[in-house]
Amino acid sequence: MKTESNVKYVLRLALTLLLITSVVAIALAGVNSITAPKIAALNAQKTQEAIEAVLPGGGEEVAFTDDTGLVTTVYQGNAGYAVQVVPSGFNGGITMMVGIDQSGTVLGISIISNSETAGLGAVAAANTSAGEAFRGQFVGTSGSVAVSKDGGQLDAITGATITSRAVCTGVNAALACVANMG
Amino acid sequence: MNFKKQFNEGLLTKNPVTVQLLGMCSTLAITTSLFNGIGMGLAVTIILICSNVLISALRNFIPSQIRIAAYITIIAGFVTVVDLVLQAFIPALSESLGVFIPLIVVNCIILGRAEAFASKNGVLASAVDGLCQGIGYTVALVIVCVIRELLGSGTFGGGLLNGGEGIRIIPAQYPAMQMVMPVGGFLVLGFVIAGSQWLMKHLEKKNKKKEAAKV
Repeated sequence: MKTESNVKYVLRLALTLLLITSVVAIALAGVNSITAPKIAALNAQKTQEAIEAVLPGGGEEVAFTDDTGLVTTVYQGNAGYAVQVVPSGFNGGITMMVGIDQSGTVLGISIISNSETAGLGAVAAANTSAGEAFRGQFVGTSGSVAVSKDGGQLDAITGATITSRAVCTGVNAALACVANMG
Repeated sequence: MNFKKQFNEGLLTKNPVTVQLLGMCSTLAITTSLFNGIGMGLAVTIILICSNVLISALRNFIPSQIRIAAYITIIAGFVTVVDLVLQAFIPALSESLGVFIPLIVVNCIILGRAEAFASKNGVLASAVDGLCQGIGYTVALVIVCVIRELLGSGTFGGGLLNGGEGIRIIPAQYPAMQMVMPVGGFLVLGFVIAGSQWLMKHLEKKNKKKEAAKV
């Protein structure tokens, strides 16, 4: 049996792998070009819905100053501000929108995405009576908020103190950010 | 090719979850509602069939020295496609399963079947193997989901039925929250594995009795 030279052998392995990875890469580029606009549109729509849920009439993106490092975007409208914040929850960041009026009072909060535990932390974002009750507590608060365990005025979600605290941290960051803007 | 034998193996005697104990990470992490179980099961089944077919078709082309790298590339390709498609068309499921969709890449069931079956068998048999193992994975997942959801949240069909809240069976104040947390996953999985072992023993005995009766 004729054996391949070492160079040939190594080249054959490398080229085979190169061929496979290239084909996979091209296929992925194709799929991405179809799904990317769709995913971007879905995300934009979600953000828009979240802004309108917490700030009647919606708003336009404006420049902001933030000391907490949690604020990602601020939208200004006639009714006040919608601030997008990303506090750290139990399983990573919670992306949420906080509506705040001109006087620094919370108009409402809306959670855009989270990876909290199903049935516990995820309740904060759920469209259930418990979720709505939790989010509703923030309406009308100002200054700074905290859960009752930390001496605050809000009831944490049962079994999800860390998530509840994270949402409070996010709301506080948003309030501070709007206070900075005057 | 023996469809009945492969189906039986996938579902019970070589079930990827309860017998091979593969893919434990996703099995324990996402089994908190029926919607998650079915979604994850379908995603894995589709990827398993696709990767099994392609790897089987290429089994004589891929040199054995680089087979693992080649398999992982192919599997990662299919997983990324499924991930992107879910994000674009079924965002609710993509959100619910979160990071566990990309993590299917390292789900040992898929690499395990590629190495143990697809690399040694024909395309059609590999497709059937993917389907049967996928069904076995889905069934095991759904059983764990239903038990954990019932005990932990007191509902059935969370994310799917009754507008996503599920049908309430146990009043909201009674369910044991620990069951939807990791500890509940380990407990339920242990009992499900024990149950499947009992069922296998039971069926074996029955078969033996039948044979004895024939003689």
